[in-house]
Amino acid sequence: MTTRRQILKTALAPIVARSVVLGQRAGAVAPSDKIVFGGIGIGARGEHDLGKLLNFSQARFVAVCDVRNERREAVKSMVDQKYGNHDCQMYDDHYALLARPDIDAVLIATGDRWHTPLAILAAQHGKDVYCEKPCSMSIEESRALADAFRRYNRIYQAGCQRRNGANFQLCKDLLKSGALGKLQTLYANVGPSVNWPPLPSRDWLAAEAPPPREVLDWDRWLGPAPWRPYNSEYVRGGWRNYYDFHGGGILEWGSHTVDLCQWAAELDDTQPVEYQPVGANTGPYQVLCKYANGVNLVMRDDGWDGSLKTGSCSFRIEGDQGWVETGDATRIACSANIKPLLRPTESASLALVNHVEDLLRSIKTRQLPRASAAAAANSHIVCHAAFIAFQRGKKLTWDPSKREFTNDDIANRMRSRALREPWRV
Amino acid sequence: MQQKTQPAPAPPPEFQEGGIARMDAAALIGILTDAGSPEFQKAKACQRIGELGAKEAVPALASLLGNERLGTYARYGLEPIADPTADEALRAPLPKLKGNLLIGVINSIGKRRDAQAGPALAKMIYGADPYVARAAAAALGNIGGVSAIEDLQAALAKTQGMTRMAVADAGLLCAERLLAEGERDRALALYASLNAAGMPEPARLAAMSGIIREETSIGRPR
Repeated sequence: MTTRRQILKTALAPIVARSVVLGQRAGAVAPSDKIVFGGIGIGARGEHDLGKLLNFSQARFVAVCDVRNERREAVKSMVDQKYGNHDCQMYDDHYALLARPDIDAVLIATGDRWHTPLAILAAQHGKDVYCEKPCSMSIEESRALADAFRRYNRIYQAGCQRRNGANFQLCKDLLKSGALGKLQTLYANVGPSVNWPPLPSRDWLAAEAPPPREVLDWDRWLGPAPWRPYNSEYVRGGWRNYYDFHGGGILEWGSHTVDLCQWAAELDDTQPVEYQPVGANTGPYQVLCKYANGVNLVMRDDGWDGSLKTGSCSFRIEGDQGWVETGDATRIACSANIKPLLRPTESASLALVNHVEDLLRSIKTRQLPRASAAAAANSHIVCHAAFIAFQRGKKLTWDPSKREFTNDDIANRMRSRALREPWRV
Repeated sequence: MQQKTQPAPAPPPEFQEGGIARMDAAALIGILTDAGSPEFQKAKACQRIGELGAKEAVPALASLLGNERLGTYARYGLEPIADPTADEALRAPLPKLKGNLLIGVINSIGKRRDAQAGPALAKMIYGADPYVARAAAAALGNIGGVSAIEDLQAALAKTQGMTRMAVADAGLLCAERLLAEGERDRALALYASLNAAGMPEPARLAAMSGIIREETSIGRPR
């Protein structure tokens, strides 16, 4: 008899995988039929992801790895309480977790600097991966990520949950149906510049005495990022303000909303060919992009909830016969001619649950999830290209097939970042 | 989904990039060669040089490759410089550096695909430090080419554990590159060697997957 674990491990899984019924969040699932997860870097965001995962009886979470002792303990406590045992194992070295043959998949929710190196390491160890966004720190990392998951035939799902949100899907459907006419312009809200500016700081914070290694391993926390002195602000989440750890508002929110635009317009396999930054770091800004087929993509600071109050992570599709816009508030704003076509959709928050279902289904069937490595890599390359254009302060032109800028040598040198030793992608 | 509510704390004056972001190569080299320049300024100068691609800065960057805090920054500067002197600068310290600093340099050599480093890297696969050995294998995989493939295939038979895993991963990369270059038969032969019994399971399955992908592709020779 073929076990589920054998199916997950074989490269022929797409052919032989049996059908499974998903959506069952309770009820008996044979232990041999459970997908066994470990988690790496489970902070506040990761705990949110984990909370959703633990509600699925098809999943079993058995191990956590973190450079922070308090996070290891907190996650173990959360998991053990859920399962009513003391089985969740704690690690401070991700290699030890990845070496466990019983672990099928890894939840990665570290800081951005670790996302690509860890995901690739997991693939090399035969693991499937869920990884938080932004998925990469550079264009080079984005490419390496997609290549590795294709090479190892592993499932990778990016934390681009809205691809599984009903209101976002309806907007995509309206475009595909032709109701909006010929696609003209896509709009991606990249967050308010007032607290998510496009250009993060290249400064350092003042040095503080680092805690003991058993409390926080600062060297591992830095990981692939260049060395800098310890400051507790970084560890509390302030790392998002600094270039060495983060790609600014464009990567933070574009990884959701640009990704939605690419998905909705079925442009998942390419990137725009032009990037024109407009505005300053300290005020409302835009990056005006154009695809080779003439479609425009506008990354814009449209406020936290969007000017039409459709909620965070909003995006808008404009055709020559109508427009739609939606976000995390679930509501769909649209042109008058589209209103009769709207139907009630489930709450946008259910996208998070649907996203976990999509992941588990993909792992079992070996079919790609909606937010696959290749799709995420392309949408992240768009964001990185826009981020570089904003840093350069000039219009950049881009060749998607060669994955290089065609009018700026400095921009090309910014496609990659050196990783701190010993890490690599 | 949260907005940030706390403003970032102000960095101290000595850790503010300021005008370094706008300096030309000569001024940046001045920072690197001045023994009195603070660590922070040198770090930022390296990053800026990498963006400018200033080959005249290679010696100054090379002098920092053995610095535990600034070694990454030196490679940040060197990696994008499109000049053979950057390759030479990365090759030169291979016999001297150890541990993570050596691994960093090896990683940069791999990134730059410097084939002249191939023989030195091939020897390192059998060295005492397993982490260095894995980095050397990965770099050879990035470099690719006939010589690197021969070295990696030889290493497949002589290594074990995580090092063999790294060698196999490098072999997979070489196979993909062979396919991209139209060397289909050689790619399939390499995949076959990686699909053999005893290979690390993830790499073996990846090789099998590569064979299936190629043998079932529409574009295969008929």
